[in-house]
Amino acid sequence: METILATAPVNAPQKTDQRAGKYLTFQLGNEEFAFQVLRVREIMGVQEITAVPQTPGYVKGVINLRGKVIPVVDLRLKFGLPEQEYTQRTCIIVVEIHSDAHKHLIGVIVDAVSEVITLQAGEIENTPDFGNGVATPYLLGMAKIKGKVKILLDIDIVLSAQDVQGLGGF
Amino acid sequence: MAVDSGHNSAAGVETPAGGSNPLASDPELLNDFILESREHLTTIELQLLTLDQDPGNAEAIHAVFRGFHTIKGMAGFLDLDAVRDVSHEVETILDLARNSQLAITPAVIDGILESKDYLGRWMGALESMLAGGQAPEGLDNQALVAAIRGLAQPADGTGLTPAEECAPPSPGPTETVAPPEAPATSGLLELAREVAAPPPEAAEAAPSVSAEALETPKAAEPSQLTARSIKVDTGKLDYLVDMVGEMVIAQSLVRHDPDLASSMKPRLARNLSQLARITDEVQRTAMSMRMIPIGQLFQKTARLVRDLSRKASKQVDLELAGEDTELDRNIVEELADPLMHMVRNAVDHGIETPEERAQAGKAPTARVLLKAGHQAGHIVIQISDDGRGLDQEKILRKAREKGLIEPDAQLSEGEIFNLIFHPGFSTADKITDVSGRGVGMDVVRKHVQKLRGRIEVQSTPGQGTTIVMKLPLTLAIIDGLVVAVGSQRYIVPLFAVREMLKPAEDAISTIRGQQEMAMVRGTLLPLIRLHRRFQIQPRFEKPWESLLIVSESGGRQFCLMVDELIGKQEVVIKSLGESMQNIPGVAGGAILGDGLVGLILDLEGIFGAGGSGHPGSGL
Repeated sequence: METILATAPVNAPQKTDQRAGKYLTFQLGNEEFAFQVLRVREIMGVQEITAVPQTPGYVKGVINLRGKVIPVVDLRLKFGLPEQEYTQRTCIIVVEIHSDAHKHLIGVIVDAVSEVITLQAGEIENTPDFGNGVATPYLLGMAKIKGKVKILLDIDIVLSAQDVQGLGGF
Repeated sequence: MAVDSGHNSAAGVETPAGGSNPLASDPELLNDFILESREHLTTIELQLLTLDQDPGNAEAIHAVFRGFHTIKGMAGFLDLDAVRDVSHEVETILDLARNSQLAITPAVIDGILESKDYLGRWMGALESMLAGGQAPEGLDNQALVAAIRGLAQPADGTGLTPAEECAPPSPGPTETVAPPEAPATSGLLELAREVAAPPPEAAEAAPSVSAEALETPKAAEPSQLTARSIKVDTGKLDYLVDMVGEMVIAQSLVRHDPDLASSMKPRLARNLSQLARITDEVQRTAMSMRMIPIGQLFQKTARLVRDLSRKASKQVDLELAGEDTELDRNIVEELADPLMHMVRNAVDHGIETPEERAQAGKAPTARVLLKAGHQAGHIVIQISDDGRGLDQEKILRKAREKGLIEPDAQLSEGEIFNLIFHPGFSTADKITDVSGRGVGMDVVRKHVQKLRGRIEVQSTPGQGTTIVMKLPLTLAIIDGLVVAVGSQRYIVPLFAVREMLKPAEDAISTIRGQQEMAMVRGTLLPLIRLHRRFQIQPRFEKPWESLLIVSESGGRQFCLMVDELIGKQEVVIKSLGESMQNIPGVAGGAILGDGLVGLILDLEGIFGAGGSGHPGSGL
């Protein structure tokens, strides 16, 4: 595990200029979202998932990733979108989450993976103020490519450990 | 000290350090220093405890001297003046002692132990400096240095010979380590080893070490270990064991592959079973690499017993047995705390003062026995004392006061003793600074359960208490029963399983319309339906159609209802990851034979979460 993670160069995207770089875009409902490519470990088709009791509904369970057991989150459910049958195009994107000093892997189920795009700093806009006190800490920003808006997600916040574990219990 | 350059043959690994003194800030070097010093400090403590028993043991004095001397030398060119000064003072004392100019009194040993602790704190500070960058400070050595110098004075006439002439209060260094000239030219590590090379007398002493080894094997162990071992990062070791576990599973996947099975030829079958044998062997070897003897842990308690008994003016003899029993390093680490608690309890509560013992007609010196051994694939660790034993009446009274049991409850002896594991339970009349706050045994049970072990107490009033811990050999692999509930498969740890049965229909009863009970061999046990706990759809709703697993958790038994038993399997335990650590009822995951993940049940969590009226069930 150490060796896999240690080889990944990590640049935390906090400032505007640091957000520039390659992104993996994917579909979720009608929207296009994107993760930083550097954090993506692999992409796989949906496989059988072992359900874990007493976890929030969007946590589908755990899978065996070459000997490691990793949790899998359905991003649709996480974002409050209606559940959908998995199709041929449904994918699990395995991403690396950084929390405190730890790194761990989480699988994310998305409708379909689109492409890898390179974004310049100038193409990335800050998240607009939605007003009404809607907090959007999990958005890195927005990018408009060929007339379509891609929403850049901060995976460390979207998939923070507390969130995945949820309230649990009974 | 003669800088003996005959010992640098093994050293040429590190790149030579250039510059005036970049040594002090070289993290790799500091790290080596910390590691090596810690090793020396461990030896020092061990030997000091030997000296405490046998003040005339010249070999022990030499060993302690060598340890401090090496640390002093290394600290010298790392510019760690405080460390060097303290080591130097101790060395002076020890020099006097080995020339028979100073008697080794308990006070002297106290002083040296204190210095050892001080150096230990320094290592901790250096380590955190390496990790965080904060330079160590606030470790004042003035008082300590003065105290140790004081020891060198023949204060109370216990010194054997007129020491004035031979022991000037602040003598020049007996041996000057030669740091200044060397660093620029030779590799630093080489230098370190040169300085660290045993003083000449060590060579002569060596034979006597092995002679002594016959009587006290534990004393000689460290030197034997260093001779033929290498240091490996434990993280790498853990990773290796993990991966080997995977290999075993992958191997079994291939072997049982249906496609392969249909076209199995004798040659393929032979080769596959050859592969199976080899993987098995590799796994055993990998596991054994993580095994360390429990003796190191026992030695730590020796120090504790000494300190405690001196503080409480009790006379205690610590006896160790089975120190060479090996178990997983991770378990040894986890065991340190509970063992300390139990030894503390034994000395503080269990053992009486010499006067009390005399009144009771016992020998004034009490006995504490620490024993380790194998038993049916488990490690059994036993702590016995010959103190006053547990007072059942007192425990019951206390438990009633605290409302842990019903006022008129009838408890068996075992149940009464189990009460001492309750959080906040203590029968000590007054709280000492050592124990009595009632946290001890609670912590002990938590730790032991975390290690998937069991703990039992036996006690006879007036004759002493024995606590027995039964632990698995390793944490990495667990023997489990694979069971099915609906479409899911779960692994029940075998150590908690008493028996399995299909109950008769009339063996099931319901209390107050809610809690189901099953009659098993004349005892009513609570029945827990796993599918209800985990909210899944079972195949069988009726207990007499399903399988009941009689399990034990925290000293209580219950029946776990599952659909059916699939088989028994050894599995490698995997964490479900940071984000799923504290799911009640789930201890972890494991990759099953078909490559899918199965969840390992945490029976304590399952039973505890039931809210079935049993107090203190771990949640």
